[in-house]
Amino acid sequence: MRERFISGFDHFVLPFMLGMIFVLVWCAVGLIKVMVQIERKDRIKVYKSLINPKIMGKNIRDWFCDCLFHVKLWKRNKVLGYMHSSIAFGWFMLIVIGHIETFLYIPERGGLFYYPIFFRYFMAVESTTLRGSLLFFLMDFFLLVVLSGIILAIIKRFRSKLMGMRRTTKLTLLDRIGLYSLWAIFPLRLIAEGFTAGVGGGSFLTVPVNWVFASILSKPENFTIAWWAYSIALGTFMFVLPFTRYMHIPAEILLIPLKNAGIKVRRPRKGYALAELYSCPSCGVCLDACPMSVDKAGLKNTTVYYVRQVKRRNEPRALAIADKCLMCGKCSVLCPIDISATDLRLALRKRQPYNIGHDFSYLDKLPNGALSSAVSVGGEKVLYYAGCMSSLTPMVSQSVQKVLTTAGIEFTLMDENGTVCCGRPLLLSGRTEEAKALMEKNKEIIRESGAPILLVSCAICYRIFKEDYDLEGIQVIHYTEYFEQLAAEGAIKLNKQKLKYVYHDPCELGRGCGIYDAPRKALTRVGDLVPAGKERKESICCGGSLGSLTLSHEERGRITDHSIRNLTANSPDRIVTACPLCMKTFSRQSEVKVVDFAQVIAENIIE
Amino acid sequence: MKRNVLIIGGGPAGIEAARRIRDYGHTPILIEKEARLGGHLAKWHKLFPDGESTEEVLTALTSDMEGIKWFTDTAIVSINRLKHLYVAIFSNGITVQADAILFATGFSLFPAEKKEEYGYGIYNNVVTNADLEHFFNTGNDPRIKDPKVIGFVHCVGSRDEKAGNRQCSKVCCATAVKQACEMKERYPDASIYCFYMDLRMFGRKYEDLYLNAQRKYGIFFVRGRVSEVSEDIEGRLVVKAEDTLAGKPLRITMDLLVLMAGMSPCIENPEIASMTGIHMGEDGFFMPRDLMLRPVESHSKGIFLAGAVTGPKTIPETLNEARAAAMAIDNYFKQKAE
Repeated sequence: MRERFISGFDHFVLPFMLGMIFVLVWCAVGLIKVMVQIERKDRIKVYKSLINPKIMGKNIRDWFCDCLFHVKLWKRNKVLGYMHSSIAFGWFMLIVIGHIETFLYIPERGGLFYYPIFFRYFMAVESTTLRGSLLFFLMDFFLLVVLSGIILAIIKRFRSKLMGMRRTTKLTLLDRIGLYSLWAIFPLRLIAEGFTAGVGGGSFLTVPVNWVFASILSKPENFTIAWWAYSIALGTFMFVLPFTRYMHIPAEILLIPLKNAGIKVRRPRKGYALAELYSCPSCGVCLDACPMSVDKAGLKNTTVYYVRQVKRRNEPRALAIADKCLMCGKCSVLCPIDISATDLRLALRKRQPYNIGHDFSYLDKLPNGALSSAVSVGGEKVLYYAGCMSSLTPMVSQSVQKVLTTAGIEFTLMDENGTVCCGRPLLLSGRTEEAKALMEKNKEIIRESGAPILLVSCAICYRIFKEDYDLEGIQVIHYTEYFEQLAAEGAIKLNKQKLKYVYHDPCELGRGCGIYDAPRKALTRVGDLVPAGKERKESICCGGSLGSLTLSHEERGRITDHSIRNLTANSPDRIVTACPLCMKTFSRQSEVKVVDFAQVIAENIIE
Repeated sequence: MKRNVLIIGGGPAGIEAARRIRDYGHTPILIEKEARLGGHLAKWHKLFPDGESTEEVLTALTSDMEGIKWFTDTAIVSINRLKHLYVAIFSNGITVQADAILFATGFSLFPAEKKEEYGYGIYNNVVTNADLEHFFNTGNDPRIKDPKVIGFVHCVGSRDEKAGNRQCSKVCCATAVKQACEMKERYPDASIYCFYMDLRMFGRKYEDLYLNAQRKYGIFFVRGRVSEVSEDIEGRLVVKAEDTLAGKPLRITMDLLVLMAGMSPCIENPEIASMTGIHMGEDGFFMPRDLMLRPVESHSKGIFLAGAVTGPKTIPETLNEARAAAMAIDNYFKQKAE
């Protein structure tokens, strides 16, 4: 191989070079910005994680699996997965092999950005070697892979259903420019390389293209036009990249080590949040996931549009979306980058001024003494916290007590003399300080009781006890797990009846705390369990969630209907849920009887 | 020319309308899905404001059924429209051709167990207004055992968006005051509390009933909703509420809690609407053609509405509407003949 031009330069590389430099500067500034905005102790955490081989190993794995292979999308839909990984991995390989070629044949040009990209323009083949043919073959092969992905991407624009997506995001003008230039890059590369294949060499793809061009066009010397077009397409893509959804390509590279270092969202659009916002690829997976999308008008409240509004600094609109959200977390679970959708919104909610002065003086007047006298310290086994929802659904706490009594377990009711709220509703509305006042009081009561086990029958309370209370030495357990454990140990005996149950995963318990199996196992002991249309981490919020601050009754009602339809897909006799709020919400609208998990167990227990 | 009028629902509206239609010279066919005529009225004991016996009212209404064809234990299977006629098939196999149909299908009592926080069906000593009337009629209810403290909860499933009923049921306030007085007469030593949001004593003599309840019977009226009900170890009810006038929380131990279940739209309304094309309002009750001027006509030709099918009503209002519907049907036939 030899160089065709002594200067090793042609003006057509300029669009690409300028675009490339622009993107690199932009990303460097962004990286510094994110790192400066992150809190000091978080920053130290990040640096430490980079020298931790375990976390670094995970980073490398995630970079490959998420950025290049899109493993999450493969799991969702094979065609969608192929489309993304073919473009990402194919392109990555073109760049890598381009560099290998440059370093092998003309190492002195290795420092030039553009050389590996436009290698075939600058080089001429003198003799064929096996190594050279192999490299050329690989280049053509990966170009073909990318092109197949581009064809799928074009099909997806018009028929997204083929790839398992009912809806896709509405693109902005710049997104469109980015999209079209991305589509143009690789066909133009094929044409450009096809023109030069006669001189610069090629393989199974570019050489036939060269034959075609040579037979049609008389003057193949005009091929610089094709290289110009290719370079301009690249340049355009890079110039618009920071302002489009394609910013997710560089941003995700940064997001992965931050996430693996355990950094959390603290502010609505700074620091880690900024990295997340720019990592959102606007793919629209959250559109189908969001329970609010049962209404067409609800689509604008999904995470992808929230991200867009925050990026645009449209705070009123972003706040409106943040307040509407049910905080069910389904979008985060399905999101290819695991965006912390609820944390981002919560961070914005927290910043809002709050003018309601809560009077917590009653906490000091509570008959705390009565409780601690009822609990003989050390003698009790279980402290049962029913939560305030149980006042609205007395059946739940009654059933739990029946099961405990039948199993012969000593227990004390923590909230017999008045419930102190667990604090989760306040926390969800962004009122951290107020929630803390309640949490401290509850902690005091729990500690004073001396019980080693805190049993909770409300999924909402359970989540905050588990996540935000620091109850070292005390086991916090949800009644679904506890009853399943009792049944497995033989402490309670259950009747099996010929009834078909469907189990609804409450958001706070399933996606929130990862409890999916215990309730299902227990239910199979008392009857037949039929699957819902979508379940486990894809279960649909009941619509009653405390998370939303502004959703109307009508909107909630439609979500509830949708959720019930999903649950009754296999015509069950009973809908079982393990959250009193879900039960209350469903029973208003369901034709199938809705019961609480505790009720089912209590009804079928052999006394 | 004699014409057939099919009347669906044998409550006060249906019975009264049937008699009036007969008086206009047409042939009423009355069907009732339950075993006896009278609807909800037949299950009641006495009526506000004067304590008139429902038995007497019903006897007077059904004293003269000459010329009316009526079927009990009968429901509608299907209704089809031919050009100027409706063909209805009954569950007893009879097919009827009707020139006009009157829906007097009334309301469904709100299922009090839906408001689980009040403990109906969970705690032993919680009953509904309908249960209490049944007790007055039969003197037999295991849940009512010489109560010393009794509470009445107004608006159970009324004016409650979360329960899916936004409307006021209109009759429960007066019914609660009436029932409270009746309980006081039976159990003179009992203390009785009524928990209300607003007292809507709109009708003639209703205010007297309310004043009497306070002066003569010494019933306590508490403005505020009951927030929660629980059971203590002895099985008595612990009722928590807020007295919003005094601004204080209350906690009262009771022996009996009566829930004033409101009026919900008849549960069969959606089915009827899809069968006949009658317009259903957002609240689930049927929409008349014009609430002011044509309150007994539906949007479908030849189909009329009377009574609580278009929203909660008292007995006198229902009877008047039945008469208005009979007249509207007669006018409809006259116009058709022209």
